[in-house]
Amino acid sequence: MLNETPDNETSDAARWARLIEAVAIRRDREAFAALFRHFAPRIKTLMQRSGASEQLADELAQEALFLVWSKASLFDPKSAGAAAWIFTIARNLRIDALRRQKRIPASDTSETELEFQRDEGPLPDAGVATSQIEARVRDALSLLPDEQMRVVELSFFHETAHAEIARALDIPLGTVKSRLRLAMARLRNLLDDFS
Amino acid sequence: MTVHHHPPDELLGAFAAGTIDLGQHVAIATHLVGCAKCRGAVRAMEHVGGAVLAALPPSAMSDGSFEALQRRLDEASETSAPVQRRGRAFSDVPGLPEFLGSYPDSSWRWIAPKVHLRPIRLPEPSATRVFLLKSSPGTRMIEHTHTGFEMTCVLSGSFVHAGGQFGPGDFDLGDGSVDHDIRIDSVDDCICLVAMQGDLKLNGVLGRLLQPLIRM
Repeated sequence: MLNETPDNETSDAARWARLIEAVAIRRDREAFAALFRHFAPRIKTLMQRSGASEQLADELAQEALFLVWSKASLFDPKSAGAAAWIFTIARNLRIDALRRQKRIPASDTSETELEFQRDEGPLPDAGVATSQIEARVRDALSLLPDEQMRVVELSFFHETAHAEIARALDIPLGTVKSRLRLAMARLRNLLDDFS
Repeated sequence: MTVHHHPPDELLGAFAAGTIDLGQHVAIATHLVGCAKCRGAVRAMEHVGGAVLAALPPSAMSDGSFEALQRRLDEASETSAPVQRRGRAFSDVPGLPEFLGSYPDSSWRWIAPKVHLRPIRLPEPSATRVFLLKSSPGTRMIEHTHTGFEMTCVLSGSFVHAGGQFGPGDFDLGDGSVDHDIRIDSVDDCICLVAMQGDLKLNGVLGRLLQPLIRM
């Protein structure tokens, strides 16, 4: 089960979901190790690109995987994809770390989690399987022109304010904004079929 | 609730990415309470975040990090319930996101004829100020422009301006280019959550007189 072709993205997503479930149900250490091997080094990259030092990025990546372990039973493969779920854990940790840097006392991870908790009424795409949404997102992303994809990617790194994206890509600020708007509109269109 | 006016896509994307400040986050979260369509869009954007994360080049973890983590797992307790809201602040105002319940509550104060304001004090310094604004039916808000931006979420009642009519669930984004001439057209009070950066610039003599009162 752990040896599916790595370049098959659909089975990757399904495999990660199964690994998280194995952690939740059986406290499966091998499944956890597989999740660690794939996600910890990538969360570290995300944190470093978001302005964290190498050491902090390493700590945050470990902490993210620790939360994957302790929250695994909250993962609902019907309402979130595995990668998206892990992304939200990393995102919340990063917000939290920034608050600690600013010495904001009352901040802990659960506060950030609460801020993102949405009172989920029926979603427009409630009838659509998560795997279909994931496949759709991948397709939508693969259809984006490279220049738009770069801007979307960078928009996920905190502190990569639009002005910094402009500098990183050596394009005018207005171009960043228009590419981002185009890309989002396009993703929205491609994903809207679910509503 | 039929929502007609939504935040721009790139703002929903930035919300999902976690790259906007807390004041703006509060405004978007308030819109999401009443808008299933935008909740769906945010969820899709979190999937995009997952896809971006999964495709990043890996950075080698420090030596021994996995072993150190493994030792922690032994002591870890399992979290089986999502975090719960704490506190009941602002619970008298329907349509606000639950996490505001743990913020310091505040009371309405008079700021202009027929207009009351209730500050939402964020637990961290933010360039964006957030407050509730309650206006009586028929109120004409003083004509104003912005030096920054203003996000408005309608919680109850409605208002109209050149951009259309805004009722419960609607989201209005104003920036320096917009000359707001707002009229409350609902039968009952219109309550909005406003997130604002920069200052309001009030036009006219009355506006200049009121300016110091409205500054937060």
